Amino acid sequence: MAEIDSMKKDGKTKNCKQEDKLFDPSIEMLMNDFDDERTLEEEEALAAEEPVDASVELSILQRESDMPIEELLALYGYRGEQQEDTSVLKEEMELSKENESETEQTEPSKLGEIYKSIPEMNQDASRLLRSVSRVGEEEEEDYDYSPDDEDWHKTNKTIMVGSDYQAQIPDGLCHYGDALPYENDDKLVWNPTFIDLVDVENYLKKAVSILKPTIPMGTQLKDDEQALYLLQQCGHNIDEALRRLRMNVISNADTMSLWSEEECRNFESGIRSFGKNFHIIQQNKVRTRSVGELVQFYYLWKKSERHDIFASKTRLEKKKYTLHPGVTDFMDRFLEDQDGRDRSSSPNVQNLIENRVIERHRTN
Amino acid sequence: MKHKVSYFFNPDVGNFHYGTGHPMKPHRLSVIHSLVLNYGLHKHMQIYRPYKASAHDMCRFHSDEYIDFLQKVTPQNIQAFTKYLSHFNVGDDCPVFHGLFDFCSMYTGASLEGAMKLNNKDCDIAINWSGGLHHAKKFEASGFCYVNDIVIGILELLKYHPRVLYIDIDVHHGDGVQEAFYLTDRVMTVSFHKYGNYFFPGTGDMYELGAESGRYYSVNVPLKEGIDDQSYWMVFKPVISNVMEFYQPTAIVLQCGADSLANDRLGCFSLSTKGHGECVKFVKSLNLPTLVVGGGGYTLRNVARCWTYETSLLVDEQISNELPFTEYLEFFAPDFTLHPEVVTRTENANSRQYLEAITKFVYDNLKVCQNAPSVQMHDVPGDAIPSDVKIKEEDDPDVRISQELEDKLVEPKNEFFDGDKDNDKDEAMEA
Repeated sequence: MAEIDSMKKDGKTKNCKQEDKLFDPSIEMLMNDFDDERTLEEEEALAAEEPVDASVELSILQRESDMPIEELLALYGYRGEQQEDTSVLKEEMELSKENESETEQTEPSKLGEIYKSIPEMNQDASRLLRSVSRVGEEEEEDYDYSPDDEDWHKTNKTIMVGSDYQAQIPDGLCHYGDALPYENDDKLVWNPTFIDLVDVENYLKKAVSILKPTIPMGTQLKDDEQALYLLQQCGHNIDEALRRLRMNVISNADTMSLWSEEECRNFESGIRSFGKNFHIIQQNKVRTRSVGELVQFYYLWKKSERHDIFASKTRLEKKKYTLHPGVTDFMDRFLEDQDGRDRSSSPNVQNLIENRVIERHRTN
Repeated sequence: MKHKVSYFFNPDVGNFHYGTGHPMKPHRLSVIHSLVLNYGLHKHMQIYRPYKASAHDMCRFHSDEYIDFLQKVTPQNIQAFTKYLSHFNVGDDCPVFHGLFDFCSMYTGASLEGAMKLNNKDCDIAINWSGGLHHAKKFEASGFCYVNDIVIGILELLKYHPRVLYIDIDVHHGDGVQEAFYLTDRVMTVSFHKYGNYFFPGTGDMYELGAESGRYYSVNVPLKEGIDDQSYWMVFKPVISNVMEFYQPTAIVLQCGADSLANDRLGCFSLSTKGHGECVKFVKSLNLPTLVVGGGGYTLRNVARCWTYETSLLVDEQISNELPFTEYLEFFAPDFTLHPEVVTRTENANSRQYLEAITKFVYDNLKVCQNAPSVQMHDVPGDAIPSDVKIKEEDDPDVRISQELEDKLVEPKNEFFDGDKDNDKDEAMEA
């Protein structure tokens, strides 16, 4: 038995001479989730297939010990290839590190090739990664986003080189002295450096008392961007800014002027018929507003009570079509109603805005 | 040290919509601005309504045909451009939506102006959350990006800065910026991103090092899914420290893509807002003129939290965990906090061994370019015929640079090597 053991060892050492050094995973292996357990498993699987009869095994081993290495490798083709593969790859890696300049620009990296050769990394995985199924509440209506897979794989996986790809780098450096005067038409809307914070707060308090906003602001002092801009325009002169504020209270309303009930209704009917194609909604339903205003309104609206009512209504309508005619699912309807009520009973900022819209509409 | 911060925001930039079901939502920018205002952060920075970039500005990087196309195409006349759509990769991922060109000129103008303000030393940090569209290529759109405001901003910085460092912490590889500067040593691009399994855009292998005179000036740190705060920091800090030491940039552009946060709709990392912010804090501590731009980020509430928090870090103000009252408060249900607890199902696939190996790999490559900065200041390749004018031109910047090296570069270097125990570096040295 001892003889066999030594023979067995002999055969093996011939087989894996190259691998017989300390196992030191290269960075590529780490990248690639290299798993040395895999070969172990394979060996076990092979072992299971091996004949159980000791004498047969013995004779096979004896034959093998006399075989030239090539034949032996061929015999253990599967395992041999596997081991050779990794070592060759490893060598290639080392090589590629050295002569990268020749290879890297023209073809995908060695690493990329390894990735391609790994069967379990198929398209499904990429699809999963792309439109991750963790869809939050806020995107619930967006779950359908799944880009074309073909498109996905079409993407260039290499960095391209050539005048069509690189930016033109300006030659040399400018001198600070001969710099062109700064002449873009940007607008400084607020600069905090010339004025004391306490003064600003006092100013904002006064501004609030002048503007008398319809939304309760809470105890916290809220910053009013418009009021601050006005202060900036007045050269940080508080009295002047306050005077101007008093002069035109109305024009200083929110950046978005308030929506009328009719506009809201048209907007909702637009959403119902065209989805989130805001430019089509604008053209067909709400001509009084710009597309940008529609987008802004959409985000305020979608968290409002109005939206909840709208959503449950459309859901019901859809149901009516899909359900068998004549049969009404009372339980479903009951649950949905409950659902709607629960959500709307929570404190909701948008209620206030909506109310304001309606109020304003009435006063007009 | 208190930095002078400029913040660029166009009130209209949030009012665009990519189309039904598209994960990129420009309105996140309005939500962030609302939070920034209601936290009172504007009291600590200059607020600008930025200039809108012209087609001419965009053509500093992009091709004329491409920009011309972007300018003309609308959802109404798209039929007439069918043959160009695939040519410029406009369609599914990068749809033609209403106001497309306006949107591009708003975010590009803001980045360009941020760069100009930094050049003129009007500020130390310029923030443009609407920018950071790092996938756009010279000739085509890619990954929700049409015009590459980062490249255009960097080109502006290069007028005054001999070496610009670009850092990208988006979950996706910053391929557009890397490609634009692949052949030059005047910009070093460093990108930390998810790589493998066909993750978009498919580039960002660590062997993409740059080419020609740009060889070793593209740095890629490919990571695997599920990386958490601690592991990220384990690579980010030593890599950036080494980059600073060897490259010694004079200006930085930081792309803060928030899709590297946990639970992003498209991302697969597990960073918290605090962990993400740590990177911003570190870059700020380098004390160089810095342009901070946004980028990806597809879970609206988390992007808003992240960039609001990072604005507060950049102006050195502490803000409360409880979100202020804003018109968008409902988006932050149920916790209404700035730093909600991170709950993630993705396991961290990055072993310590792997992270150390990749850090070492980057370090070894950086060592090669340690002498390059002084070479590239002269800017003339060895055999080129030096004209008198050229020599004169290049001598002056040289003098100025060495002063800058004294003033700016040495200081941050001391700061981060003396400040903490810099184990990473020592380990790398031994190895």
